[in-house]
Amino acid sequence: MEIVVAQIINGLSLGSIYVLLVTGFNLLLLVAMIIHFSYPQVVVFSMYIAWFTMKLTNNSVILAIIAGILSAILLNLLSAPLFQKVMKKREGVDINTTMVLSLGIGMIITDILSHGFNKGLPIAFPKVMVGDKPIIELGLISVSNGQIYTLVVGIIAVSGLFWLLYKTRAGRAFRAIAEDPNGAKLVGLPIFRTALGSYAITGILGGVTALLLAFLLGTTSPGMGDQVANKVLAVSIIAGLGNLTGGLIVGLLLGILEALVQGFISGSWANAIAFVVMLVVILAKPRGLFGMKL
Amino acid sequence: MEQSRKSKTGEKNGVLLEVKDLHVSYGHIRALKGVSLHVKKGEIVVLIGANGAGKSTLLETILGINTPESGDIVFEGRSIAGIPADRNVRDGIFLVPEGRGVFSSMSVLDNLLLGAHHNMADADKHLKRVFNWFPVLEKRKNQVARTLSGGERQMLAIGRALMSSPKLILIDEPSIGLAPIIVNDIFKILVDLNREGYTILLSEQNANKALKSAHRGYVLETGNLVLEGSAEELREDPRVREAYLGV
Repeated sequence: MEIVVAQIINGLSLGSIYVLLVTGFNLLLLVAMIIHFSYPQVVVFSMYIAWFTMKLTNNSVILAIIAGILSAILLNLLSAPLFQKVMKKREGVDINTTMVLSLGIGMIITDILSHGFNKGLPIAFPKVMVGDKPIIELGLISVSNGQIYTLVVGIIAVSGLFWLLYKTRAGRAFRAIAEDPNGAKLVGLPIFRTALGSYAITGILGGVTALLLAFLLGTTSPGMGDQVANKVLAVSIIAGLGNLTGGLIVGLLLGILEALVQGFISGSWANAIAFVVMLVVILAKPRGLFGMKL
Repeated sequence: MEQSRKSKTGEKNGVLLEVKDLHVSYGHIRALKGVSLHVKKGEIVVLIGANGAGKSTLLETILGINTPESGDIVFEGRSIAGIPADRNVRDGIFLVPEGRGVFSSMSVLDNLLLGAHHNMADADKHLKRVFNWFPVLEKRKNQVARTLSGGERQMLAIGRALMSSPKLILIDEPSIGLAPIIVNDIFKILVDLNREGYTILLSEQNANKALKSAHRGYVLETGNLVLEGSAEELREDPRVREAYLGV
């Protein structure tokens, strides 16, 4: 029993990360109308920037947080004109082209990370960030401060995003474009400018996710983005592409599933089992568990 | 030369919108082949035409969705050809699209507020006036738009236009898909709005109803204007009677 509780706690914090990533991915899909497959690579890049900032500043956590978030926003905004240019040329939404562009951006990021930082070896965040022992320990159940940060900040970030979507002028425009891009144009919404807003917001979300990953895992490597990207795309498809609430549920469930597999079978099987389960789901429900919102 | 002189004095004669020799193509399809028309402040002008005559293309081009190949669109004395829709909406043109174009998964209130996107400061004031015009929208303000009837959706689409405090309302086929009794209500609303001072350019296949409500009209056939005149003249014109009034 204790193992179950312990693994569910692990699963919820891991799941919060998936939720944040899927939410950012879905938001870009809905508002900017792109498949940003490499969004997790942007997040891993920001982890590296945070790590590098700590190295330069004698382990300042505050500066690492600022640099991590800023780099994600910047990287997202810099890629925006590329995506929008491609879409303009093709006259409208072209998910295939944007996906290829995103793959390219991801590969470039991964290559820069494996050549430019720490000789391509995995990096470890210093103890001041990760903390050296669990905050709560009850038998087998132990909770690290990374897990608490992830859960708390994850909940705040996702609620903040839903508040923005449902209670603000920008959020209203986001939802209108997501439901009917042409209709949104006809009522005079500035499509490009609003899309740019979604790049900025997913940038903030990505930066926050990067820092939570740093707190939670304490380490990362150039290849991590690739691995996570596959899962994020899968979660989004399983939940129903563009379905924010669905992504929330499936993201958390995937986290818990992986943690339970780790606890009871073996960590090395977690990915394979997660993908088998997702394969079964997608065969049974091709439009996703909660329906596509595209 | 003659035309450019007209545009400078256009505003003085009360001309709000002037379309001059407008050509629009979609790829190889020529949708508008030299259309010229004008709308004066305070008028209801109707564009009559069958499906595919180019009515929607014309309204959407005025709004700024399409870029004209040649010709000009002058609004309040300024050329707006090729200016994007979001800027024209900010400057006072608003389209009520064919099939209403309401966002069905969003609430009635959100749909209305979208109309005020460029001027949220006055949103409350405009909202009050819209609810005065359409009490049913206030009753249903928290419902999602997909639960509305066809007539209510049309009211929502018109209400959304009013939220932007438009100088010119473009309405694309307001009667399409509505029961005759609802069509009467909608046209009554349009006439009332016009009496309040709103200028309206609408397109219609339902020529009978439209010509009874409008001051003037134009008949559009496959991208060309073939007739123009006062609503009365058009109602009496044998070609209109035969082709659009079914007499």
